Amino acid sequence: MHRRGGVGLAAFDRHEQSKRSFAQLSSALSQSQVDHLHSQLNQFRAALARFASTHRESIRSDPTFRHEFQQMCSSIGVDPLAGPRKGGWWAEMLGLGDWQYELGVQIVDVCVSTRERNGGVIEMSELVRLVSKLRGVSGGVITEEDVVRSIKTLQPLGAGYQVVDIGGRKMVRSVVKELDEDQSVVLEIAQLEGGRIVEDILVQRKGWTRERARAALENMVHRDGLCWLDDQDEECGRAYWVPSAMQWDV
Amino acid sequence: MSVPASTFLLPSIHSAPPFFTQQPNPSTQAIAVEHWTHLILSYARHRRLFVLRVEDAETTGSDWDEILRNPRINRKLLPPYLSHILSVMVASDAAAYEPPKQTRSVLVHWRSPDEWAQALHSWATATGQLNTILTFYDITDPPIESELTGIPIPLLRKAIAILSKTNRAQMIGVADGEGVRIFAAGR
Repeated sequence: MHRRGGVGLAAFDRHEQSKRSFAQLSSALSQSQVDHLHSQLNQFRAALARFASTHRESIRSDPTFRHEFQQMCSSIGVDPLAGPRKGGWWAEMLGLGDWQYELGVQIVDVCVSTRERNGGVIEMSELVRLVSKLRGVSGGVITEEDVVRSIKTLQPLGAGYQVVDIGGRKMVRSVVKELDEDQSVVLEIAQLEGGRIVEDILVQRKGWTRERARAALENMVHRDGLCWLDDQDEECGRAYWVPSAMQWDV
Repeated sequence: MSVPASTFLLPSIHSAPPFFTQQPNPSTQAIAVEHWTHLILSYARHRRLFVLRVEDAETTGSDWDEILRNPRINRKLLPPYLSHILSVMVASDAAAYEPPKQTRSVLVHWRSPDEWAQALHSWATATGQLNTILTFYDITDPPIESELTGIPIPLLRKAIAILSKTNRAQMIGVADGEGVRIFAAGR
């Protein structure tokens, strides 16, 4: 009669022995899996680096290629703009993050320098034209899409840059709650008048031209929603009301 | 049956002159129309008014004068603006054009057709009129005044249609027009 496990004390030893062997085998297996994974990751990195070095220039200079690249990134769930903390090597290798931020700075430059002229609202095509001019020929071609993307990267700064649709036209607005001097004057007088403000008051008290008064008021109605229009005013026919200065709660 | 107008408490925005002007800024306008919708619905509910017409803003003496006008600040809602407000209300199902295919007159949904259907069913149950044939007149002008007293026929039809979908009502032709039979629950 032969028992596989054996009998007596020797059986315990054998049992221990086989347990140890299994443990060794299992750790060897996982080690090889980890190694495999590492080598895959290295390959991926190398491929990416190759991709980056080959196409870096195209990505920066060719808007169509850039668009395709962005699409590819979003479809595989990689953010090419991710900062140095998360997946930074990706952004570093391509230099796309810097490229995007650089464009952002140029957008701010154009918006601020034209603010006096346009009151903080600039049409998209005009912005693209001015930014392209600023970048010069070597900067490559940029598109609306690039501008929109860069404006998004500006969001953490809290400067209130925003793409808005005004009557079907894309506009970039760079003043949100920031008031210009004229608006502050209007708000100040409205406060004294219980909310009501008309062109005549601004012309008489502040010596503004009628055009300036009208522009300031119309802007506050249309652009900022800071005023409500009243076209049944007994005195002037057309009056503006500042809700924040009125006695009713909206 | 109408409640006297004077007991309605007007919201403070009703004393703001620009409230009576259509706003050129879309977001401001959306806020204003939201206030108008709320005001129209609560006033209609308060006075049990069902129909609002663009004409109500054209002439004085309508049921709606109290909210469409504010003589203290000399402002009134002008017909084009009322017409716009009505279109927004219809779009959000707070009202329905009645008759359909015109835009001058609406039924105000201070209760939704669903809620009216429920009210009709509860009333029939509470007054022991389940399974009997009721004419429209029995419902709109019952001997004992009910929630449904004075409900316009088109709205009543909608309520019945809703109950019919769950087999809780059935339209029946009767000698002098139309009637309805209401059932306890879906069959």
